[in-house]
Amino acid sequence: MTSAYNDIWVYNLAVAKEAKKWWKHGYVEQDQLTAIQHSYQAPFYHPNFTIRILLFIAALFASSGITGFFTLLVADTGRDFISFACIVYGAASFFILEKLFISKNHFKSGVTEAILYHSCGFVIGGIGGLSDFNNVHGILFVCLIVFSFAAFRYLDLLCTIAATLVAAGFLFFEFYSLGGIFQQIIPFVFIIVFTALYFIVKSLQKRGVLKLWYNNLLIVESISLLLIYAGGNYFVVRELSVAMLGLTIQEGKDIPFAFIFYTLTVLIPIAYLYFGVKNKDIVFLRVSLLVVAFSAFTFKYYFSLGHPEITLTIAGIILIGIAIGVMHHLKTPRYGFTRENLLSEKWGSMNVQAFMISQTMGGNQPGVDQSSMPGGGSFSGGGSTNDF
Amino acid sequence: MTKETPKELFEKGFITAEQFQKIDAITSGKVVSVFYELRTLLYLGVMLFTAGFGILIYLNIGELGHMLSIIALSVLTITCFGYAFKHAVEYTHENVKAPNPYYDYVVLLGALLFITVQGYIQFQYGFLTDNLGFSTLLTAAFFFFIAYRLDHVGVLSLAITALASFWSISVSPQKWYSGNFFSDSHLYNTAIFFSTVLSSIAVALTKREIKTHFTFTYLNFCFLLFFVGSILGLLEGELWGIYLLAIYAGSVLAFYVARWKKSFLFLLYAFVAAYIATTYFLARTIFAEAIEIWFLYSIASCGGFIYFIIKYKNYFKQDD
Repeated sequence: MTSAYNDIWVYNLAVAKEAKKWWKHGYVEQDQLTAIQHSYQAPFYHPNFTIRILLFIAALFASSGITGFFTLLVADTGRDFISFACIVYGAASFFILEKLFISKNHFKSGVTEAILYHSCGFVIGGIGGLSDFNNVHGILFVCLIVFSFAAFRYLDLLCTIAATLVAAGFLFFEFYSLGGIFQQIIPFVFIIVFTALYFIVKSLQKRGVLKLWYNNLLIVESISLLLIYAGGNYFVVRELSVAMLGLTIQEGKDIPFAFIFYTLTVLIPIAYLYFGVKNKDIVFLRVSLLVVAFSAFTFKYYFSLGHPEITLTIAGIILIGIAIGVMHHLKTPRYGFTRENLLSEKWGSMNVQAFMISQTMGGNQPGVDQSSMPGGGSFSGGGSTNDF
Repeated sequence: MTKETPKELFEKGFITAEQFQKIDAITSGKVVSVFYELRTLLYLGVMLFTAGFGILIYLNIGELGHMLSIIALSVLTITCFGYAFKHAVEYTHENVKAPNPYYDYVVLLGALLFITVQGYIQFQYGFLTDNLGFSTLLTAAFFFFIAYRLDHVGVLSLAITALASFWSISVSPQKWYSGNFFSDSHLYNTAIFFSTVLSSIAVALTKREIKTHFTFTYLNFCFLLFFVGSILGLLEGELWGIYLLAIYAGSVLAFYVARWKKSFLFLLYAFVAAYIATTYFLARTIFAEAIEIWFLYSIASCGGFIYFIIKYKNYFKQDD
């Protein structure tokens, strides 16, 4: 089995997109870009992002209308028959997706995603329905298979995320239901399994196989790093132990192996940051920023002095300090790092940022009709960010 | 796209050796840009700091000594703007490149602290309470000045928000899902009026080529406000015919603006608004009860829509 798309075209499209970025940053000339676009052609229908969203919404509505008709047909039959019909309907949608759209060169056009998720949903729902939604092992396993299939065959990124998370859930649940000592070692199993997955992904990337799935591998790589961290994080382990394993922690006592988890909560972010800087690995760097924040949260959560506003202020000052310090330090590029923008990212524009600012801070300007509590409102907007 | 692509393009003669070296350094990861990471950190820092500082003062009102806290805040605010004006590039109608990478964030910090000061003074002394509208208007005017003088889109969006809240319109989704949006019954008319006037001004400014990169932010606010306002007016039910026409007019306008500005976000708003309006119209007039018709309707309308978009795909191409 392979991807549903013509791999040369997928590659060509990616090259043409990348060349356009180079052109925007002035690395290549206009006529060079035209030449590249001319020889790296793909007949795909792959509209811009907004049109894709529009088509996605429209396709969801249209398919729910079709679903509605079928619902009327099978509504009076038994539960098993409906479940079975769902599976057939889902499988048929996969077929329609390929025959009606992908064969007409739709490539991630919004319509394809809508039908894909629709198909996945019905297949999973149907199989779940057959087992009365009781068999969690089975449902998780089916989810894993279906999402992996969708991620692999249609290069879909959301399905990749779903597949990786379901894999983690499956692993957790299997060990959880074994009980006893197996429940205790879940964190270590997570760390070992996802470290292994990380290195598998890395070696796949290095060997250049699966280059069609470049972005999917990038996602698996990032999520693996996050899950390794989650396996060792004190907060995650403690709260899950209390919630799932029924652990009760008495005053002055702590979870088993607490020391190990404290250490890991500190060490993993540092290790990520170290490897990120040493290997100039942007994935490591980005993940490390996230997990540093979560580690800070973990320690604040259990050793809080009860002044979140002081924490926020100090955290803000530290972040501003670090950012300005590093920017200053990288005035001239050092160790291969630069503060300049080499290639633009899609969401990096100032317009997006402006919208963010007005939504997080500006939205709660004191209004005329709120005069009973003037000014108070202007703070709460910022409060939405205090999950730090 | 792989790490070998630049080499391949070089060997095929699409790019020169010099260009290849430059590009290959980036794609192979020899040079890594931390541009977005640093900016995100700065942005988060500014947000956390102003939020934390705001709450800190709010909780300790009366304990810290009012004058002291106002002075501390004001000094910080003035420092930010002092720095900003000292390093400011001369005003032009064009897009101005910030003198250094943290410049924009200093301006943003100043603006957010300014809101805190204003809110604090209002809360503590109350003498602005009676003139709350006036003080909001003053904030808006000041922010517009900063946005244009220092060329800051973020502060511009704060200015528009402040101006909108002078008219008691809240422009935040946080308000939408908490159900407080347009709590006053006729606020949607205000919103429609406000967005029409503001967008006309924005278009006039664009025609004169004054800060054309601000147009998107203006129009984004205006279209959102206009469509939400007129849809709420429509659902209110009494004069729904008028609002229906307003939505159609707005959609046609958004369609042309989307073509003009090459921004398909407006097209998205237009189609969604027009679809809601049409569906409402049909629900009130032609078909009311039979559920099958609704299924048929969603298939036909959305299917037709998809067909239309794909058929005229060249019309929706973004050529930037």
